[in-house]
Formats: sequence, structure tokens, C-alpha cells
Amino acid sequence: MSANKTAVQQPSLPTLLAVQRAGVIQTDVKRCLVCRECEVACSLAHESECNPELSRIRIDANDFVAGLPDIRVCKQCDWPACYYACLGKWGESAIRIDERTGARYVDENLCRACGACVRACPLTPERPVIFDKKVGKKRIRFKCDLCKDRPEGPLCVEICPGKALTFIPAEERRK
Amino acid sequence: MSELYGWTGKILRVDLTGGKVSTVDTAAYVPRFIGGLGVAAKIAWDELRPGVDALAPENMLFLMAGPLTGTLASGSSRVVVAGIAPQQHPSVFSRSGMGGHWGAELKYAGFDGVMVQGKAEKPVYLWVHDGEAEIRDAAELWGTGTYGTTSALRATHGPKTRVISCGQAGERLSRFACIQTETGNAAGQGGFGAVMGSKNLKAIAVHGALGVRVADPKGLLALCLNASREGQSPPPPPGARRWRGWWNQEPGPNFRRRKCGFCITPCSDGLFMDIPGETVPGVHTAAWQCWGYSTSFRAHVEARAMTADFGLNGWEISYGMIPWLQMCRQHGLIDKIDGLEIPIPEKLIENLEDVVPVSGAFLNMLLHKVAFREGELGDALADGSCYAAERLFGGKGAPLLDRIYPRRFGQTNHWNAHWGTGGSPYFPFWLVPVLQWVVDSRDPASDSTHQFTEHVLRYLPEHGPERGPLTFEQARAVCEKVYGTPYVCDPTPTYDHPEARALPAIFHHNRGMLVESLVLCDREQTRVFSMLTEDRKADTALMSKLFSACTGYETSEAELDRGGERVFNLLRAIDIRNHGRSREIDWQVAQNLTYPAFTDKVVLDLEQFAPMLDTYYELRGWDPATGYPTRAKLEALELGEVADGLEAAGKLSK
Repeated sequence: MSANKTAVQQPSLPTLLAVQRAGVIQTDVKRCLVCRECEVACSLAHESECNPELSRIRIDANDFVAGLPDIRVCKQCDWPACYYACLGKWGESAIRIDERTGARYVDENLCRACGACVRACPLTPERPVIFDKKVGKKRIRFKCDLCKDRPEGPLCVEICPGKALTFIPAEERRK
Repeated sequence: MSELYGWTGKILRVDLTGGKVSTVDTAAYVPRFIGGLGVAAKIAWDELRPGVDALAPENMLFLMAGPLTGTLASGSSRVVVAGIAPQQHPSVFSRSGMGGHWGAELKYAGFDGVMVQGKAEKPVYLWVHDGEAEIRDAAELWGTGTYGTTSALRATHGPKTRVISCGQAGERLSRFACIQTETGNAAGQGGFGAVMGSKNLKAIAVHGALGVRVADPKGLLALCLNASREGQSPPPPPGARRWRGWWNQEPGPNFRRRKCGFCITPCSDGLFMDIPGETVPGVHTAAWQCWGYSTSFRAHVEARAMTADFGLNGWEISYGMIPWLQMCRQHGLIDKIDGLEIPIPEKLIENLEDVVPVSGAFLNMLLHKVAFREGELGDALADGSCYAAERLFGGKGAPLLDRIYPRRFGQTNHWNAHWGTGGSPYFPFWLVPVLQWVVDSRDPASDSTHQFTEHVLRYLPEHGPERGPLTFEQARAVCEKVYGTPYVCDPTPTYDHPEARALPAIFHHNRGMLVESLVLCDREQTRVFSMLTEDRKADTALMSKLFSACTGYETSEAELDRGGERVFNLLRAIDIRNHGRSREIDWQVAQNLTYPAFTDKVVLDLEQFAPMLDTYYELRGWDPATGYPTRAKLEALELGEVADGLEAAGKLSK
């Protein structure tokens, strides 16, 4: 009986670990035109240069292989493994939860360049959505932040000419 | 300015004879020559002398990006190709270009352009990556099509590698061999695939992660978000379908829509994948764009795949060679090729509409014949109809060419109301593209004419039987502001107001040079009309704003237009000094365009056209008697050294 009582008094694991839900960029590969405008817009907005290798969203397509292209962008998980991995390893997660959008984003000043988030991500290694860039000697990680500082919402969604991207806010997202 | 933005700062110079790779500072040429075609033209003016053959090692092959390439500016993935073009008849310094992703990737690999000279002893390819370049052995790739070459180089250098290559046609120096990238984009016109073949250069593979730094990231982002997305043509009338039928089908395993890199402008472009062939077992993948073969669906995909894989310019085959062969049969010069009858219509062919479809088997046979120079006929046809007509049938097929080609170009009529390739401009509006054809070194549609015929004309309230969305008052007011005369939009069928034809011809030609130098796409630039503004005038200063934001050189619309004019005059000077261009040759082109227009049956009246050409030369600052630029004009364009060069050649007007 007493054991049961203790369990009731302590917050359950799900309560302890719960984080605010996030919006998400929904992709429709049938509408993707493989123009990669999203990639270059993303890098311009976040890194002030036009460079698909610094984009938080990636388009994969091979003209010589039949099939539709792939759009890789963070799914903003309800239970973000990247966040827990960083939290568990360092005590303070460099993956932060944005208050307005719920976006799981990397605080670049906090990132220790350990790569725990990348390894924890369920999309790794087949379809990676957490990338790295060299800052000084460190390989800082970066990922989609849903353009959290942009009131109009994610830039890639706005610029996509094929309308392959849709932003779903947290409250409208399917449970 | 100590730091360059927009430009990477380095142009790759490759000497295949000596096997050496070096770099040239872009800053030596910009901002005066902008980039892309402008820089290529300047280097060609300095280094290419008269008398160089297109397929000689001395010819230079330019593959140029510009300051806007690889940025967010829409249409910025293109690469401009320049050099002495073997398809031109005779060969002259000219230009071509392609979309896709290669141009942008070249910038990310650290270069504003590649210029190739000399001839390698053995087949080689160029591997360009992250600021470095090396010449590598291509023995294993020689003989492979462009599809196989691309896949092989991706296996070696990674799946993100972007490749341009010549196919078997380029290796065999077909004068209309293209430079192909992936399935759907090629520098088609000009025959630059043969220039690669003549240099033993199989391919150029690029990859890089260097990125393009821009002077004003926030400004560029705002400009690109504000840039209208209405496309080149006005919105279709209610109920009309914007795209061809095939575009509207549901994407799936066998079809998807595609675009060139970094472009938001609507432009029909799709990819058919794994489609069973009609004549060859197996499946075929091919892109589908503005040109096509007149045949069945399956044969079309198959033939397109072959065309791209062999590295041929399908435009020439579909709109030039097949119609010419049908005409030749109608005139009793040939019946069959390899036992396959050339199909012909009952009436004599007068324009493209009369040409009848061909079978998949016929296409397959013809494509193999020209790509591999099979037999005497294939060997002759591999140089394109204009060259073939001199060798075949005792020269009797040559006069038949005139309906299809202004022979000087070796390229079919296009958007000038002749023959039927391109849409439907009506008199007097087709005088504008005719003026552009008369002074250019190639089919001007690809960078300069589309802006007028596919954009301006489609907004006008009255254009033949077609009606655009504007009122006459709106169109007049905008034309007055943009061109300086309201008569540009006046449909009265007359040769009066010659400046109303010459001014738009000059304006769009100069803008075309900007498109080729920045480098953007003519599907995106320049717009004159807009449905999003109150007065219906588009922001014609957009290119100069994009240029300023990317490079940090604050440049007004007028200043940048002067840059376009500078590039145009420089190309004219090369054509005059190296290839004997003059009013006489311009006039020969006009004489080639005197068949009844396929749209309205109006015939170009040369007597009334002559004073219009005078007006054109005067507005250009050229001497109407010779067609040569004047020193005053060239010096006003900061082209003093070009004036000196022309004077030394005895080809400068006072």
C-alpha cells in the first residue's frame, strides 16, 4: 500500500517529461517541384547567405530514379527525442522549446557539438533533419525552428511555388 | 570595395592542351560587365581573334554564372554558355544557356564561371569542388550517353554532384549537339556539345558548400518575397486551363512536375519516368517542356530520352530537320531512309502546321543516324539541315530551307511569325522580333524576344484575334513610361511610328543581355505589365534592385540598362570584327523573312522595312549605312578600347 502511495505522490514520468506541443510543417511531395527555393530562402533568412548546405529543410530528388522527391524537415515531435537526449546528457538542453510556436530549436550558444540530438532523432540516419555547421572549431548543430521569430510563420511555406508545404499550428495539429 | 558580394570573385581558366587550371579575378571585369555573358564577351573580345573555327582548339568555351546565380532571386540557377557556335551558319561567336541546378552549384563550388581552351590529348572531365578544380581522365566515360555519364560521376563524387556533359553526338562533333544536364535541361541551340567534344572534354562535375554571400540579406529576402508571382503571361481568362493537359495529371511514380533550381515562376516542365518505349524494350525517363516531337506519347518519351542521352538539340530535329526532310520528299529528292518512308502531307508544306507526325520507329532511326553519323546521310544530317543541304541532293534541298530558317543562324524561325515555331504574334507587332532577329547572332527568343511576345503582347487589349486583360488606355500609359512611346501597343497595321517597333526591340534586347549576365531567366524578367499594381505597370527596376541587394553596388535601373546595352554592343563588335557582320548581313536576314506570316499572311515589305531599320540603327547609336557602332556611342558606354579595336580593323563609324 505504502509503495502505491509514493507512486501517486510523485509526478508520473510523462508529466515530468511533457513539453509544450509544437506546430509543424506538413509536406506534400506530390506538389514539390524540386526548385529548392525553400532551401535557399531558409539559409538566407537564418544564416544570411544563399547556401542549400545551411538550410534547415532539404529536398532530395534524382531525375534518373522513378518516384516522387523527398522533403526532409523536422517533424517537431510531441516527445522530442533530441531534446531529451541533450537534457539527459548535459542537465540543461541546448534544444529549446519556443514559447510562441512550440518549435524545438537549437540554442547555438548552448550547443556543445556532441551530436547526441542527431543520434537520438528517430529520422536518423535515413532522413536526417538535424544538420551541422562549423563555428570556430566546433560543429554546431542546427535544425528547423519554424521561423519562430517571424510572425508571418515559416518562410519556406510562404515562398514555395508548388504549395507543397503547409504550416499546421500546435492547436490544429492532429493528436 | 574590398570584399565581393554576389560574385565569388574567381573565374576558372582551363587550358586542356597544357593540362593546366588557373583562376582569373572576376573583379577585373565587374561591375562594368556585370557577370555571365557580359564577362564572357569581354574576355572573348580580348582573346578570340578573327578566323578561329568553332571546332578548333583555339575556340573558347564559356560556362558562366552571374552575381545573382545561386541566390534567392527567382530563376537564378541558370548557366550561360558562349563561344564560337558550330550550329551557326557560318559559325560565329554566340550564346546559349540552360537551367537546372548546375549554374548555382558552380557558384557554391566557388566560381563565377569556367572557360575552357585548347584540346586534351585524351578524353577528360573536369571536377570542380569547394574552390578547387582538377582535370581527370574520362576514358571510361567516352562513348557513354549523358544519362550514364551523370550517374557514373555521381557514383564517384557523391549523389549531390551536378553534371553537364556532351553525349555521343557531341563526341562525334555533330554541329547541333547540346550540352545536357540531368534529364531536362540543355544548352540546346548553338551546338556547344560539339565544342566540348572537339576539346575532348566529356563532362564538368561540380559540387560545393561554399554558398553565395550577399550584401543585403534582409533586403534581398524582402525583394524576393515581394516579387510578383504572376508569371510571364497574364492570368488566363476564366475557365481556361493554365497548363497543358499533361501538366494537370496527378503526380505519382511515373510523372512529376519539376522546375529549374531556385525559381518561383510558373513554367510547364514535367518529368515522365519509367514509361515503356514504343520501339525499344525497356523504360524511359524524359523531361517534357515547350518543344516536342509530333508522334505518339510513348514514342515521344522514348525519343526525348534518346535525344537527351545522345546529347542532341531536339528542337532542330523536330522543327527543322524532319520538316525539311518532308519537304525534300515532296520535291522528289528523297523517299525513304533505311527503308522507312518519310511521311508527307498532301499539300505542299508552307509552315510547321502542315508537317505530319512521324512514327516512333522513324524517330528512333533518325536519332541514331545523326547521333552516330551513320552512313552518308547520317553523316551529313549530323551537322544540321543548313549544313546538310549543301552536301545532300546536289544542293537542291537548300532553297527549301528558307521557309524554316534564316539560313545565317542554322536555327529555325521562332516567335517571329514565320514558320510556326513559337506562338502567334500578329502584324505590326511581329516587326519587333523581326528587328531582333535581323541584328542578332542567334535565335533571340531565348533571352530577349519572349519578354515581348509572351509577356507584353498577351496583356494588350487587341492583338490579332487575341485579347489581353488590359484596356487600351492602361497599355498606352505603361508603354509611354517604359519605352517612351505609347504606340508600342497600337495594333494599326502600318509601318508608321518606326520607333514604336525599334524601341521595344532595343529595350528587350538590352534586358535580354542583363538576363544573360546577372544570370536570370527570361521567363521571369523583364515584366512590363502587372495585374498586381494599380496602373498595371510592373516594377521594371526589379533587376537593378536585386543586383544592388546582392552585390552592394547601388545601381539604378537606368545604369543597369546601360550595362545591358554595353554587353549588346560588345557582342555586336565581336560579330563585326571577327565575323564580318554588317548592315549587308542584317539585310540578308530580313530578306529571309519574306514568306507570308503564318499568323496573318502579311508579308514583310522590305521597302518600308528599310527606313525602320535605319531608325533602329540611329536609336542604337550605330551608323545606318554600315550597321557599325559609332565611336561616340561606344565611348558613352565606356567601351573606348572596343572603339579602338574596331577602328584598327577599319570597322568603326565616325
